[in-house]
This record gives sequence, structure tokens and C-alpha cells, in this order.
Amino acid sequence: MANVLAFAETRGGELRKVALEAMTAGRALADALGGELHAILLGPSGIESKAATLGAHGADVVYVAEHDAFATSAVEASAATAARLVGAGDYRVALFSASAQGKDLAPRVAAKVKAPVVDDVTQVQLQGDKVVVTHPMYANKLIGTLSLAGAPVVVSLRPNAVIPAQTARDTRVERVQPAVDPAAARVKVKEMIRGNTGKPDLGEAPVIVSGGRGLKAPENFALVEALADAFGNAAVGATRAVTDEGWRPHQDQIGQTGRLVSPDLYVAVGISGAIQHLAGMKTSRVIVAINKDREAPIFKIADYGVVGDAFEIVPALTEAVKKARAEQ
Amino acid sequence: MEARFKIAPDGASVDEAGLKYDIGDFDGYAVEVGLQITEKAGQGEVVVYSVGPAVVQETLRKALSMGATRAVQLETPAVPTDSLAIATALAAELEDGGYDLILFGKLALDSQNGAVGPMTAELLGLPCVTAASQLDITASSGTARRELEGAAEILEFPLPAVVTIDEGITRARLPSLKGIMGAKKKPLETKPAQVSDSRVTLTSLALPPERTGGRIIGEGAEAVPELVRLLQTEAKVL
Amino acid sequence: MTAPRTLPVIPAAYQPELPLDRIILRESPDAEAVPMDVVIVGGGPAGLAAAIELKRLVKRDNESGGGMGDVEIAVLEKAGGLGEHNLSGAVVNPIAFRALFPELKDEDFPFRAPVRGERVYLLTEGRAVRLPTPPTMRNHGNFVASVSEVARWLGERAEAEGVNIFTGFPVESLLVDGERVIGVRTTPSGLERDGSHGSSYQPPTDVTARAVVLAEGTRGMLTQAYQRWQGIGSENPQIYALGVKELWETKVPLDAVVHTLGWPLPPDVFGGTFMYPLEPNLVALGLVAGMDYRRRATDVHEMMQRMKLHPLFRKYLEGGEMVEWGAKTIPEGGYYALPERRYGEGVVIAGDAAGFMDVPSLKGMHYAMQSGIYAARAIFDALKGGDATAERLASYDRMVRESFILRDLRERRNMRIVFQKSGFYFGGAKAALMTLTRGIFPGRKITAERDAEVPRVGGGSTAFTPDGKLTFSKLDANYRSGNATRDDIPSHLIVGRDIPAEVAELYQHMCPAGVYERDGDRLVVSPANCIDCKATDVIGPRWTPREGGSGPKYRRM
Repeated sequence: MANVLAFAETRGGELRKVALEAMTAGRALADALGGELHAILLGPSGIESKAATLGAHGADVVYVAEHDAFATSAVEASAATAARLVGAGDYRVALFSASAQGKDLAPRVAAKVKAPVVDDVTQVQLQGDKVVVTHPMYANKLIGTLSLAGAPVVVSLRPNAVIPAQTARDTRVERVQPAVDPAAARVKVKEMIRGNTGKPDLGEAPVIVSGGRGLKAPENFALVEALADAFGNAAVGATRAVTDEGWRPHQDQIGQTGRLVSPDLYVAVGISGAIQHLAGMKTSRVIVAINKDREAPIFKIADYGVVGDAFEIVPALTEAVKKARAEQ
Repeated sequence: MEARFKIAPDGASVDEAGLKYDIGDFDGYAVEVGLQITEKAGQGEVVVYSVGPAVVQETLRKALSMGATRAVQLETPAVPTDSLAIATALAAELEDGGYDLILFGKLALDSQNGAVGPMTAELLGLPCVTAASQLDITASSGTARRELEGAAEILEFPLPAVVTIDEGITRARLPSLKGIMGAKKKPLETKPAQVSDSRVTLTSLALPPERTGGRIIGEGAEAVPELVRLLQTEAKVL
Repeated sequence: MTAPRTLPVIPAAYQPELPLDRIILRESPDAEAVPMDVVIVGGGPAGLAAAIELKRLVKRDNESGGGMGDVEIAVLEKAGGLGEHNLSGAVVNPIAFRALFPELKDEDFPFRAPVRGERVYLLTEGRAVRLPTPPTMRNHGNFVASVSEVARWLGERAEAEGVNIFTGFPVESLLVDGERVIGVRTTPSGLERDGSHGSSYQPPTDVTARAVVLAEGTRGMLTQAYQRWQGIGSENPQIYALGVKELWETKVPLDAVVHTLGWPLPPDVFGGTFMYPLEPNLVALGLVAGMDYRRRATDVHEMMQRMKLHPLFRKYLEGGEMVEWGAKTIPEGGYYALPERRYGEGVVIAGDAAGFMDVPSLKGMHYAMQSGIYAARAIFDALKGGDATAERLASYDRMVRESFILRDLRERRNMRIVFQKSGFYFGGAKAALMTLTRGIFPGRKITAERDAEVPRVGGGSTAFTPDGKLTFSKLDANYRSGNATRDDIPSHLIVGRDIPAEVAELYQHMCPAGVYERDGDRLVVSPANCIDCKATDVIGPRWTPREGGSGPKYRRM
């Protein structure tokens, strides 16, 4: 009976949301196989306490290795430990997150166990003796369906592609040793830096608040910044019109000639929605548009549109988001 | 990158009529990084490799015209879809060493896979940093910055090593006129690739589903409570 | 601030001069200069025909023991790839192809299809009245083609002949010694927005040459600068039209070449529309309008969008997909607008750059190629005789004058200009008379006004909301040109200072690509949107070359 192995990503001793997404996707695969979901949990001492959360999201077994070096990605030791576990069990699929850490880790593990790998998949399912995944290709302009033969296969799951779901299991926790000494890694983490604005990078942020020419002046981006701060995990983006005017730096530009982003939530403030911009953000899971022009093309693709003056709506939304988060 | 791709009648490839092959953005950054390192050091050479059919020669020629010293095409009938197959061919070619640094682009724009670099590193047993957004190379070691979600790490590693290059590190130079003329005379060697069996098959391509948005929930600040409620209960993003 | 809407503005009053001191350089070439024998600026039909013909002449000479020796030719093209900045209708007269490739047959040429049928209509908003096809517009024996494909095909032939083709190399200056053109300087690349050198900076390259062919295409900057510098005038100023073109994959096949007059062009605008089948279900359509229109909110892109709502077009387009969009100016001045000489010391001017374009038959590609062939012959003879002096290159002008190029243009010398003077209906009647008399009517030159001198009054546009399926905003259309110009290069546009709102309004509507926008009293400029159509260069902000490979990436335009 084949099982599924899923890597639970941690940073600084905390589980990341993508870990729960990996468990949720892994659970569905394990159920389809009639097998078990095994989780790998690596972190500094005390990380074992997070095993229960993984269990609550569907893990039958949690393999835990504690070492202080695992407070960072410690990719060499993580890959060796994961590869040893993958090699030791009867796994159909080894699942990672397509996060910065997971995209680094998955191919290394795959190479160690000589398994095929596909990065950044949005769906993964079993079809006969194949694992079939969907995966964005050609700069997100096409969706490819790929079939992976053999066992195990390795995939990394695009963040936000699944919504974490709880499925309580009777979870066993097993302590394992790191396969190599994390302290002896050749690539050493010299320093960890929090982003200088404290905001996540556009490419990775789960929420993006973006401003367009409708904001009228560079100082009005303070409204966008405040809304991003209210979400807590949001990055600030801009349209090309705005970066061309010099209101925001060029690296903040989202669109065909800028960054391609795909967050969980994209809030477009004062953005009309030229295709050039849509090409960079239309794969976002949920799109909110705030614009005074009811005819603006952005409303055609927005899940939720609010027509009106951004200078009234955005401050009200900022307060409401703060309140909603405080109540959680 | 093209604004639009047309799916070929077989449903699993792109209609290449009118398309122009060019070096991928990230691969261009990698070539540029290599050139800047050798230019700064005043010594060393940049050798470019590509695995695939004759069309990859155009990509190699572009790298030569940017300033690479020589190029090697590891020939396959088609570009393999299995990253491990590509990495195997590269590792077989590179196992004898003779280099300080192997650079890759973080991602191929067509396949949107970034696995070949780290897989090649594993097969060669080399230290590896993926998605470097800054890179500093000295005689025997390197320092790289790697962006994480909302943070970054500064990594140190010994040479030889494998590094894959993220955007933001540099722009790729446009080839100079002299570079293009010179590239025609630079060696471009073609030899068969020692690929492993491909276990990844692209079975179909599809256009992303059209977004079915268009829902205006209200006007002005009065719509905010309803928006927040929908974000919490329906979209589950808050 | 805002003047009354009716007060006319003269665009010329706000138009900056071309910076001649930066374009005509009295400098010795850089020590690193690349030595060539002949440099051809522009890899379109004119430049590539010149390159092919010259290589063949040299080869023939050497084979017959003429002892010419090797002649190194460089074609410098600003687009990232051949054909990517070329745009034309196009129904092609194959005469120049046959002249250049006598060994090939018509079916070997890069044409899509012979013209199988043609229809001309006069449109009103809801109706189309079929007209008899005017003699100048009869296209039997001609072929539908894409000039982008033609350029790529000619490029392959040229490379096979041993021509060096460098794409991604705009030329920003002519190097001169005394009166003589001795080479060119390309643009640098890798500049930051503020003009500083980025980490991937590549300096300009000087290329020296014994002869230079200016085949820059419509409204060429070097050509303008050279003529200014040399004081080369013309009887009438050159005037321009702007064409906006789209390529559609249709569900309904089209079997004929279609031209229309009338709606959606208002009576004060000279022009018309076209629709050509490249394949039965791949249709090129466009709208061309003279830039001497009077109302400043006249908007060619917008008229092109409206045109598609007419049942005549709509029945083909509905349910289809717009796959490419682009725009280009067309030199429409004809015979009297030709520069009084098209050669000088070490230089000849060919193709659209010289104004070899015939409005009544809507054609220029065969003139461009034929003038390229003559340029090659003149240069060959000149080099054979020693060097490319103006005296020797004068044979180029002679060949052009004695050919069908000038014969056609002379016959139709007043046909376009009459519309500037008489409007659509009277102009149309007079043009018919000109056709009948082969240009003898009206027996004198009609004087044209420079487009920049035409006073522009308010009005001309009505609110229009694109639906994103059949009709598109300028920015959305621009995306379909393949334009992905780097956003953080310095602006390549020289815009006048203190542009009043009325003039900003004119720029906004004239530019089909959304480069200019009037924001209250302010003019907002987005240079990265520019697709090198040169429209506003004619009446306002000046276009200069920018980093190679910028601008559109036309595939089948």
C-alpha cells in the first residue's frame, strides 16, 4: 500500500501556512491511494509541539528532527533527511511547497532519489499508474498538464493553490536524526534579513495592494501602504503608469513588463485595468477592484468591485480590515 | 516573452509559426553574471551549455555574442520535459570539473521549471544556492543573497559551486555589434547528450480559464462592510 | 489657463527642432570603429533589396574578372528582429520582386495569396454602397502579403548572399567629414532612466562606410537631419497619413480585397479603410487618415475601433480574435514632396524615407524595393569608379527618375493634395479628373501645407468605450503589438516645454499608442508605449532612437 510524504515547511521554529496546504493536498492524495500521509517536520528544539497541528490537517505520521540549524532552511541537511525518508518508505508522491524554500528543496530531494520532479503545480492527482499535475507554463499564459511516471515522484505545490482544511487523524510522532549534520553544511547561512520595509516580496506575498494613476499623486500611496499594513502580510505594487511617473520604484511594477504575481488576494486601487497590467496579476485567486469609473475594465475581472472614491473607500477598508484581524 | 501563445493542433505543444527563439530572461541574467565575474577578475572564461535540438544554437549564439568564450550543444531530438534527464546530461558532461562556478537561470520561462540547476548540483555533489538575487565571488568562495517570503538570507559557500540566478541581480547586456561579428567565429560544439529516460510527459496545454468576475458589490465607503464580510466568509482570504 | 475650445492652435509653434548637433557628427570615428564598405540603415524592403542587389553585382563582377574584391555590407535594423517594426497593408505589386529575383517565380515570393477579387464601398454609419473600383486601385495581378514576413524572407536571402544583418541596432548619428557621410554611430544600451550607465551598459558603436544608404522608412530621423543639414528642399512639404492596422483570426472567411471611403472618417479627413485576406480566416484590416485633419480630437485609433462596428466588417470579425495591432505613418506627399535630390556625398536615400509612396494606388513596397535596387547599382558603379562621390551617386536619382517610380508619382502628383484643399467630395471629383487626364488636370502644382502648420480647432471625438472583444483601448491594443519596451530607459522623445492643454489634447488623440495623455492641464508622457509610428514627430514631440529592440514586435503586420 502506497503512501504520501509531505514536507511541512517551518521558519524560525514556526509552521508556515504552506505546510498546512501541503498536508491538505497530501491528505487528499493519501485518501485516493487508500494509504497514509506522512509529514516531515524539521525545526529547532521544541518544533515537535507543532506535530499536533499537522495531525489536525491530516498527517498520520509526523517524522520530527530537531536541530537549531533548522531554524533556517538548512537546505543540505533538510534535503538529505527528506531524501532518506522518501527512500525508506513506499511513497507514490513526495510533496513540497513551491515556496522559496520548497522550490530549493524539492529538486534536490528528487535528484537524490532519482525521481522525476515538477515545480509549482496547482493541482495534483492520481490517474492509474501516473501522477498527473497541472502547472502554469509560458509565463503563466498557458496551463500545462503533465504526467509523471514511476514512484516516487516529487512535486512542489504552488502557495494558495489549496485552502488548508482540518481532518483530525490519530497521529503518531516519530523522532528521526538529521541524515547529515546540519552544522556541517557547505552552504552556511551567514545572516537572516527581514525585508527592509517589513513587507513581503511581491512574488511571494499572499496579499498585494496595488495602486494606479487613480491615486493622483505619489503621496497618496500612503493610503495603499496603510491598507497593506492592515492586512499584515501584504506587499505594495503599482501599475506601469505609476512607475513611469516615478511615484513608485520600477521594481514595484506589476504587469507584462514588470512582475508577474499570483497572490491569494489582489486589491487594485485606482487601476483601470489595461491588459498590460492584467497580464501580470490576473491569475490572482481573488481580485478586489476599487475605482471611480464603473466602466473600468478592471471590474470585468474583479471578483468584488466597489465603485467610488478611493480616498473614502480605502481608509474605511483599512479600518475594517484591522478590526476584522483584531477579532480573529 | 510573447504576449500570446497559440496551442498547436496536437493540443500538447505551442504553435511555433512566427515565434522567435531567444535566450530566456533568467538565463540571460546568468550569462551576464558570468561575464561580469570574469571581466571583474580580468581572467577566466565563460562557457555556455544547452541541451536540446538545433534551435538551441540560436540561444547559444546569443550568449556568445554577449561575450561567452565558447558554446556546447548537448543534442537531443527535443528539449526534454524531465528536468532530471537534462540534469543527467549536464552532469555527465561536467563531471570532470575544470570550472569554479556553474550558473543557471532560476527558471525556464517556457517550462516554468527551475529544477535543473539544483538537480545538476546534487548529481555532481556540489554546494548549491538557488535563486540568488545578489552574488559576490572571490577566488575560492562566494556569498549570495536569496529572497524568502518577507525575508532574505545571506549564504556563504565554497567553490566550485552551482548558483541559479534570480531577477534583480542585473540586466542582461544587449550584444554589441562587435560581439555579434565575433560570435560567428567562436566555437560552437555539438555532441550527443547522455540523457536519462524521461518520465515526465506534457500531455496537454490549455489557455487559463477566463475570469468570471464583474461583480460590483456596491458604491462608496458604505460597501466596505459587505466587502469585508465577503472576503471573510466567501473568499476566505481574511 | 484653458483657452476657448474653438481657438485654433498651430502645432508647429510647440514643436522642438531635431537636435542636428547630436545627429550630424563632425567627428572622426572611434578607434574601435567597425569597418564596413556599405552601411544600410534600416532592414525593410528598401534596405534589404539594396543589400541583395549590391552583393549580387559584386559577385558577378568578381566572377567575370572585374576585380571588385569583397564588399562588406552591414544592414543595421533598430527592431529586435527583422520585420518587427515593419507595417504595411499590404497588397503588393510584384514587379520589384521579379526584378530582384529573376530566377524565381511569383509563387516563390513571400506572398500570402493573389488578389482574387476586390470591392470598393462608400460607407455611411449603417450602410455600404458598392462603388466601381477606381482605375488606380485595381489590383488584379497583385498579391496580399505581410511586410513583416517580406522583411524576414528578404533577410534570409540577404544573409545567404553574405550580407551582415544586425538587428537591435538603431543609428543615432551620421558621422561626417566635410560634406561627406563616412559612417554611423549606433545607440548605446543598458542606460538607466537618468541616463547613467547600468551594469549591463554597452557603449555606442561606430561603423565606417564608403557609402551609406538611408532606408529608415517613413519619417526617418537621419534622413530629416541630413536634408536639413544639406539644405535639401522639396517643392511641397512632405505630408503624412497615419494608419492603424489590426490582424484578426476570423470565424467567417474573407474572399476579396476590400477598400472603403466615407464613414467613420468625417468629411474633413482624407483617408479610408482596408480589409485584406492573408488567409481566408486571417484578415488584416486598417484605417488610414491624413494627418492634415482640422479637429484636434480626431483620433485614428478610435475611428479604427468604430469602423469594426459597421456591419461590413463586423460580420467577419464577430467571434474572432484580434491577434496583432500596430500603427505607422505613411508619406503621402507624392511627387512634389520628394526631396529635390536623394543622394549626396557618400549617401543615398531610398524607400519610404525618400517618400516613394503612391496614395492613389495605396502602394509603396515595390517603389521601396526598386529604389533599393537602384541605390545598389549606383553605389556599385561609384565604388567601381573609385569612391561614392555625389557626382557618381547622382546616377541613382537618374535611374529613379527614368523608372516607373517617378512616372507613377508624376501622373498622380496632385491627387492627394487636392483633398487637403477641396475636402472629400470635391477632392474626389477632381481626383477622378486627374486620373482621366493622367495628371494633366489641373495643369499646375497644388501647394500643400506642412501638417504641423495646419491650424487645429476643438472637437472631433465623441466618447467611446471599448468592449475589449471587438474594440480596444489604446493600451490594450498596444499590448497586441508585442511592445515590451524596458520601462526604465531614458525617454527617447523630445517634447516641447509648457505644452498647453489644447496641444496636449491633439497629441493624446493623434498618438495611437497611448504615449501622450492630457491630464487636466498637464501632458503626461509614457515613452515605453511608443511603437515608432512617428505620428507625433510630424507635428509635435520629436522621435529619436532608443535602446535596440525597443518598440513593437510585429509578426505578420
